[in-house]
Order: sequence, then C-alpha cells, then structure tokens
Amino acid sequence: MKLSTLLLGPALLALTLPGTAAPSAQGKEKVLNLPMRSAGPGSLDPVTGSTVYDNRAASMFYETLVQYKYLKRPLELEPLLLAEMPEVTLDGEEMRLKCTLKKGVRFQDDPCFPGGKGRELVTDDVFYSWKRFADKEYEYESWWILKDTIKGFDEYKDEQTARVDEGKEHDYDAPVEGLVKIDDHNFEIILKRPIYAFQWKLAQFQLSVVPREAVETYGTGFARHPVGTGPFILEQWTDKKDMTVLRSPSFRGERYPSEHMPEDEELGLHLAAGKTIPFVDRIEITFFVLENPMWLEFKSGKLDYTQVPAENQLEAFHKRSRKLKKEFKEKGIVSHATPLLDFIFRGFNMEDELLGGYTDEKRWLRQAMHLAIDLEEFNDVFYTGTNIIYDGVIPPGLAGYPEDGKAEISWIGPDLERAKELLAKAGYPNGEGLPVIDYYVSASGNIPEQAELFKRQMGKIGIELNVRILTFPQLIDAVNKKKAPLFGFAWSSDYPDGENNLALLYGPNEAPGANHFNYKNDRFDELYRKIQTMPDTPKRTEIYEEMQLMALRDVPYIGSMARTRFYLINPWLKNFKPTEDFYNWVKYMDLDETKRTP
Amino acid sequence: MWTYILRRLLYSIPVYLGIVLLLMACLRVNDPVAGFLGKGASEEAYQAKKESMGLDRPFVVQYFDFLRQLVTFEFIKVPDEEVTASEDGGAAVLRSRGIESWSQEGRTVGQILRESIIPSISITVPALCFTLLISIVIALLSAYYRGRLPDKLMMVSAVLGMSISFLVYIIFGQYWAAYLLNQKLELEFFAVQGYEPGAANWAHYCLLPVLISTIVAMGYDTRFYRAVMVEESGRDYIITARAKGSTKRKIMFVHMLKNAMIPIITRVMSTLPFLVMGSILLEMYFNIPGMGRALLDSIFSNDFPVTQMLVAVFAGIFLVSVILTDVFYALVDPRVRLS
Repeated sequence: MKLSTLLLGPALLALTLPGTAAPSAQGKEKVLNLPMRSAGPGSLDPVTGSTVYDNRAASMFYETLVQYKYLKRPLELEPLLLAEMPEVTLDGEEMRLKCTLKKGVRFQDDPCFPGGKGRELVTDDVFYSWKRFADKEYEYESWWILKDTIKGFDEYKDEQTARVDEGKEHDYDAPVEGLVKIDDHNFEIILKRPIYAFQWKLAQFQLSVVPREAVETYGTGFARHPVGTGPFILEQWTDKKDMTVLRSPSFRGERYPSEHMPEDEELGLHLAAGKTIPFVDRIEITFFVLENPMWLEFKSGKLDYTQVPAENQLEAFHKRSRKLKKEFKEKGIVSHATPLLDFIFRGFNMEDELLGGYTDEKRWLRQAMHLAIDLEEFNDVFYTGTNIIYDGVIPPGLAGYPEDGKAEISWIGPDLERAKELLAKAGYPNGEGLPVIDYYVSASGNIPEQAELFKRQMGKIGIELNVRILTFPQLIDAVNKKKAPLFGFAWSSDYPDGENNLALLYGPNEAPGANHFNYKNDRFDELYRKIQTMPDTPKRTEIYEEMQLMALRDVPYIGSMARTRFYLINPWLKNFKPTEDFYNWVKYMDLDETKRTP
Repeated sequence: MWTYILRRLLYSIPVYLGIVLLLMACLRVNDPVAGFLGKGASEEAYQAKKESMGLDRPFVVQYFDFLRQLVTFEFIKVPDEEVTASEDGGAAVLRSRGIESWSQEGRTVGQILRESIIPSISITVPALCFTLLISIVIALLSAYYRGRLPDKLMMVSAVLGMSISFLVYIIFGQYWAAYLLNQKLELEFFAVQGYEPGAANWAHYCLLPVLISTIVAMGYDTRFYRAVMVEESGRDYIITARAKGSTKRKIMFVHMLKNAMIPIITRVMSTLPFLVMGSILLEMYFNIPGMGRALLDSIFSNDFPVTQMLVAVFAGIFLVSVILTDVFYALVDPRVRLS
C-alpha cells in the first residue's frame, strides 16, 4: 500500500491539477446552490408526478390556481393564477366555485408555440390540464385527486376510457358538466356536493396548468421538457445527479408577500415585502442519495442550506437544549425546526379474528398493547429525540390536534401495570393463552430494528410478536388483502386539513383503500361525511376532536408520532423559511453575496 | 478459433434463454405493478399500468416478446426528439419510442444505458488498470523477496488494506482527502461528490473514487498474484533459465510473468462484466450517475422494465465475457487449443 502511494504520488498531482484550475466565473449572476435529498424527480409532468421531489421540481416551472401563503402559519391559501380566491356558493346539494384567471399570464417561450413565443393562459388550458387526469395514457396516476368531486367528471372519464378501449383517441373537447367556461378568463367549477377541502386540492402541484401545444408536441418527452407559466425554465437535468434552472425571461413578475408572522422579523424574512420575484438568475440543484456527502458539501459552503442528517444531529446541536453549536453560529449559520405533517403508527386490522373487533375484551387487548409501548424510547433511539408524540391521527399544526398532544382519552405509555390489568381483563393474564401475533413491517431503513424494539416492549407484558419483514410492495399487498393483523405504517398529509387524516378511518375507504385498519364506525362515518361539507370553523374542529376520541376509544392503531426536520441555513441565503407542506418557495429565495464565505 | 467462438455462442443460447426465463419468473413472483404504484393505488391506475407494459398477457407471450426486444436490440433505442416546424407554425416532434422507464418518466432503457455507462467506466476501467499494474508489480517484488522483510511488509499491508471496509475508505476519503484538504489547505484536489463529463474534469471528480477502489482491490489481488508468482518460481523452467544464466530480472519479467498470465487473465476477465455494471457503493457515495446506481435505483423504485432489461443485458455481457476468457487463454498459452 505504501509502495502504491509512492508510485502514484507524482501521477496524482499531475492528474489532479487540471480539475482544480477552473472554477467558473459567475460574475454578478445570482446562483442558488440547493440540495435535494433524493435521486431527484422522476417526472416534471404534473399529471404523472407523485413524489415530493416531483413536486419540488415541477413547482419551479408550473403554477396552480392558488398557492399557500409563504410566511403565514397555520397555512392559508391565496390566489396564484387566479385574480382572487374562488367565490364559493352553495346551490342545492352542489357547490360552485367561480374563478377568474389573472390577465396577462403567459406560458414560457418554447418552440411548441407558433413563432416560439408563449401565449396567454386561458380557461381552456385549465380544463385541458385537468382532463388529462382522466386520460388513460397517463394511467390515471393522479385521478384520485379529482375522483368523485367535480360534477360529470367521473362520467367523462368512463366515456373517454371506453373510447380509448375502442381504439379511438381521448377527446379533450368533450364537455364536463362541472367545468363551465364563461369566457377566456372566467369559469365555474361545480362540485357534486360541498367539499371544502377542494380548495386545498387547487394548490396541489398535480393540478398545475400546462399548455396543450407542449403536451402534444413532446408526448412522453413532456415529462422532461416543462413548459409552464412559472418563474423558472429548465436548462439541464442529468438524471440522479443534478438539475439547473434559469429565471424565465417571460415571467410576469410576482411580488414577495407582505403578510408574515412576528417571528419572521427576527430572521429578516419580511424585508423583501413587495419586491418583484424571483431574485435569482440561476439555480443549481444537486441530488444526494446519501446524507454524508450533502453534509460535507454544506460544511464546505457549497450548498446554501441543508437538512441536518440524523447522524449529524449531535454535531450540529447540543443534545439537551437542541441549540445550535457555537462553531456553526460563528459562521452566521441559523437553524430552523420544521414539524412535518406525519402520522407514524402501528395499525391493527380491525377485521382480524384475534386483534380486531369492537367488544370490550378486544378493546382491552389493544389498549393494553398501546399502554405497553414506550414511544419515547423509539424517539430517543431512532429519531434522536426530535419526534413529537401525540394522541390521535391529526398531526401537530392542524385544527383538531389536541392541546399539547394529549387527548381526553390517551393510551400513551408506558404504563405496564395498567397494561397488564387490561390484558388480564381481556382474558390473557400475563399474556397466557394469547397466540403469537404476526407483526408486518417493511425492510426499508431502520424499520426492522424498530420492530425488534417493539417486540421487546410487548414482551414486558407477556405478548409475543413474530416480526415479519417484507419488501414494501409485499407489505402493501398483505395489508390490502387484510392479511396483516398488526402492521407498521406512516402517513403524510396530502394537504393541511385534519379531514385528510380522518379519511384513514372512514369505513368506505377500507382496504385496499386508505383505511388500512378496516375501521368501521357508523357514527364516525356519518360525521366524516358531515365535515366534508363544512367550512373551517370551530364547530368543525369540535367534530374532528369528537371523531378522534371515538377512534381513541376503539384503538385501531398504536401511535402517534410526527417527525421534525432540522435545517441549517448559510448566512448568505435570504428569505428562506423551510417547510415541507408545499414546495414552490424557491422563487422567494435571494442571496446576499457579501455574507458568503470567501 | 472462429469455429470455437461460434460453437460457444451457440451453446450459450439455451443457457441465456434459461436465464431470461428465470429472470422473468422471479420478477413476477410479486406483482410488479402493485409494487410500483404503492398503497392506495386505484384499480383503474393498476389496470392501465398493467396493460401499458403488456403484463396482462399470458407469460409465454410476454417471454417471447421480451426475447424479441433483446434480439432486435430494441432496448438500446432512445427517443428521437427532433423538433421540426409544423404547418401551423408550431412544432412537431418525430419520436420513436424505446422501452420506457416507469420511475423516470420520458426516459428509455436505451437512454439510461447510454448515459450511465461512461460515468461507470470512468471509474472502473482506470481502477482495474491501476490495480492490475500495481498488484502485479508488488506481487513480483514480493515473490522476488520471498520470506524477507520487503515481502512481509508488503503482505501485511495487503492484508491490512483488504481488512478495512470499503465504506471506511469512502467516508475517510471524502472527509480527509476532499473536505479537510479543501478546508484546511484550500486545495481542492478532489471533489466530495459529483461527476462532470470530460477529460479535464476526470481527475477532480473520479480520481478519489478510483484510488479508493484501487486500494481496496489491491489487497486481494496482490495476495493472489503473489501466490501465483511464488508457485511459478518453483517450476522447472525457472531452474533451467537460471542454469542457463538468465538474469533474475529476465526470469521474473519475461519467463515467469508470461507463464503466470492464465490465472491473471482469468481473474481480470471475471471482473469485466462488473466494469460495465459499475461500483454501486462508489457511485452512491460520490453521486456518480453510473450503471450500478441505475440498476439499484430501478430495483428500489420498482421500475420493472428497467430492472428486467438491465439484468438481462448484464447476464448477456457475463456470458460473452466467459467466452472471451477462454479465447484469451489460447492467445497467451499455446498449450490450450480451441478445438
């Protein structure tokens, strides 16, 4: 080995010098260097994108009718492509949303348009973009978002599917009863019934507006050739490696928001209010499959911000206080904690002969198991103590989340004495007579290790688990077929409304739907249908709480936990308020080159 | 020789057909569509995806269709995206569709192969050359000094080198050679991660992974080659050469090295398929978009068409490399006859 180093020494120097010589001159161009903790997006086509990485990338090129207010918490919506928020009226059993598009919004210049010049966005573009959800060519990947919402849309999809199956082309000009064009800038959406959560859906990136010319010109290549109305255009995308985007020269120019939270002032997030966005000319995004290189690149000053990897938490923060360490503070780096809309749980199959059911004995058994688990230990061992433990299915930050995470009915333990009492009442004193329970988990990440800890904790009250480690598809299959009596899962909210999480317990959503617990409760289902038609009021929040208590009484799951993501931000990056609830925030970012490390 | 190659190729056909059959059967044990779409996928989405890939057809039909794609090299097709002016002043695209990836919308297996292969061989080929060169030289020196201090030192180093995990080299390499060197001495010899095509960027992005790969492989190879050299050094022809007055240098580098080529070629040829497949660990940690990552990512993202095609192509490359090994035997050793 020593010999090899000697032999290689001169060659090494000769070979390395050219690579070090040429850092590109950037002049006064403002260039953001951002990380993406993944192999990158899979698609830039909104209708086929599904992951948060697709969302983050597509949100630079495309826009939705409404968007989240960047600095406001709890989250609120504001118009983006619309001139104002939709005017909502109730008409019998239907709900109507009257929408007016902003004038002068143009698609980015692209060869797909006559003369290569982007044209103005009009009502037909909105309808065309949404009708793509019903096109078999896109394999209905995003159909779930609009399913059973817009009047006549399900029928339109069925008709078009039949046409395609007969060998004809999908007819985008066929009408949909609930999509009513008034003129090029005004239209009405008619929903089958009042669905207040629909407004949140309008901000989902899949509902972004795309031009028909681009889709028809590029075909499947459209997924890698974005043409939208957004502030950036794609310069290059090397799969699994990086992506570079440039400021769109034809972007109309939006304003940085003036509405903000008091704590934003300390970080200077309010200072750009009213200025025209975007501020930067170019964004270079590097994809990181592994965290260690991302962390080193951030420490080298090559990234403007980073998520703090779990294994580097103690390098960045003091263990007890969770305050940022001195060496980072001295460099002007600031930290930011972002709670995620997570629901991490272990679910029971309520139709399982042993663990399911609604008799007192069955409830006591599940309650005993809930009381035996020590979620704090999970938090310390696997999440460096950064998770939030709470009762219910609604994560922190949303209406319906119990105060301090504690509900009136709570089974958060560990309380082994009470667990043993309940287990005995259920007919299994010290676990005697209770068969071994199959616990289904996926093999990804540290989930098998978590399963071992769960097994040990259950062993303390005499319950024996047989951990069955499967691939994720196998786990889904087992849960969908109702074969798994007990399983480990997690859910991230699609939009910031507790209704989205309560849907996980809605009877008609049973497996293979989102109600993996196969939980059935007529009163719960009745209330769920009711909240779907209610606006966000204290009365609706009360119903959320009532529904959560019903579930807590029946214990269809053991939980709950939500992760917190920690970010470190370099001093030269301005206007960054980390969030993982929406992803079109890149347009607000700015740089202060005077603060950059030389 | 051509007859031999042809015959071996013909013998390999049923083997390859069997491999493809096994591969296709294995990949269908768990429903690939359900795996890709994940939980909560609608029945419509499921059926549409199944139809698009032809997975709703009988297995035999799928098998022969897949063989057709392999034989006609359909897998190397890339979309032809020539944008031309259309009659209305807009643009039209002439497009030939290859085998499309599920997880990388708009990309074909051909594109994935074409874009991944250069980054992979930018690492693996130099690493193989360095390892081969250095290991053989060390092995020869070690055999020359057999039982003496230089031999012992070199072998201890080799054992140490192979005893340390690949991951340790990578993490330390990234931290010490790339990050700290940059931070403390402001010398940006090596990149912490990344890849840029072109000879000018090669050293900056690829040399560190190549060195790490070389150091790890050297331990194993040096010990192996030394054993070969030591064995050769006791042969009669070496004694004869000595008796005839050949110099030690000539004995080692001319007589011994030539006769030791068969095991060396066997070892080198067995690594050839892996040159194309790349190094998964290095590509992951250094963020190099190579073949190893392409295959691994396709497996993790349940990208059925890419996984199926890449594994089938790699199996083909492996079979060809086995045939080539036998041909090279004959080239270096006249005693081996290809008949």
